[in-house]
Amino acid sequence: MAERVSAAEFDSKVLASEIPVLVDFYSDSCIPCKRLSPVLSQLESEYAGRLGIVKVNVNFESELVSKYEVLAAPTLVLFKDGSEAGRHRGTASKDELIELIKSLV
Amino acid sequence: MFDLIILGSGPAGLTASIYAARAGLRFTVIEKEYMGTGQIAYAERVDNYPGFYGLDGYTLGEKFREHAEALGTKFNEGKVTALANADGVWSITFSDGCTTQTKAVIYALGASPRKLGIPGEAELTGRGVSYCALCDGAFFAGKAVAVIGGGDTALSDALYLSKSAEKVYLVHRRDTFRANKALTDKVLAVPNIQPVYNAVPAEIIGTDKVTRLRLSDGELAVEGVFIAIGTVPNTKLLDGLSVLDGYGYIRAGEDGVTPAEGLFAAGDVRTKAVRQVITAAADGANAVNSVCIYLNSLTG
Repeated sequence: MAERVSAAEFDSKVLASEIPVLVDFYSDSCIPCKRLSPVLSQLESEYAGRLGIVKVNVNFESELVSKYEVLAAPTLVLFKDGSEAGRHRGTASKDELIELIKSLV
Repeated sequence: MFDLIILGSGPAGLTASIYAARAGLRFTVIEKEYMGTGQIAYAERVDNYPGFYGLDGYTLGEKFREHAEALGTKFNEGKVTALANADGVWSITFSDGCTTQTKAVIYALGASPRKLGIPGEAELTGRGVSYCALCDGAFFAGKAVAVIGGGDTALSDALYLSKSAEKVYLVHRRDTFRANKALTDKVLAVPNIQPVYNAVPAEIIGTDKVTRLRLSDGELAVEGVFIAIGTVPNTKLLDGLSVLDGYGYIRAGEDGVTPAEGLFAAGDVRTKAVRQVITAAADGANAVNSVCIYLNSLTG
């Protein structure tokens, strides 16, 4: 299960990470987000050590939401070396997520 | 070879799988979405399915799925790209190039949100244009948004959004709403929902994100546009099979029998008057009965 991070932890857990990190901006009332959760768990174990996966709750982290201009849930943003390296807006299949991350992991 | 492949895991496909399991058929379910339960998952409340008053659609869908799983249903995630019949055998092709064969198919792929088809819509989807108020409402707290449509979904969306948005314009092409009276009365009593009647959206404007909605007559300054103008059946795969009516629905009666032998329709894809969970479930049961009759005719 991907760890939920707050704005305060975002620097250390995402931006300063040595491996790429996929951030799932989700909301509790969002069904596609719930559907995505087991898929992210699969990726988490398949790419263990090569890719970090964390979740940001958009209902509580408005600062991160506006900083990264997220306007849809789920939005998956891939970070590498502290900056954005890719983005997928809306629900995603496992194949689409692998497509997003594969050049970096 | 399978006796039956069920395409879709919404209420129609899940009910079909319950009946197929109990009928002892060699069958499997193909679903495009891992652990899916179809459109019902998106309903905030389902108050018209007997026995589960007040339940949300996501939980109801999960209950259907658990029931199907308890009876031994196997689910396969896959995107079907082609469906063809040769000498009485149906071949189903997947996006990864694999194919599988079956004597009968129950087509229960449901429906997807209808698009407006106006400039800016596709470009700004996920950037202020949304088809899911429950998903994306949080991004528009304190902002002005528009909801397009006049049915139950549009009005429920407007009500939901009115709790966080500063202002909700409810844009409808007619002068009265099609939604049920109880819901309409509730919506019309909310101070920050403003109905905009007899208005047709012409363009959604914005560079990186939505800033305005242009209507047939005038413009609205909004940052979110929520589109709830009904659904279209997911029947593109059947384009070449001469089984669709002029609106894209599969021509089939209550028994699910289509003009193509061995192909059966269930749920929102079928021509019918009422598209609800309960009629989708009923279709699933009827379609399996028709499949059994068909399979018996092959051996008899």
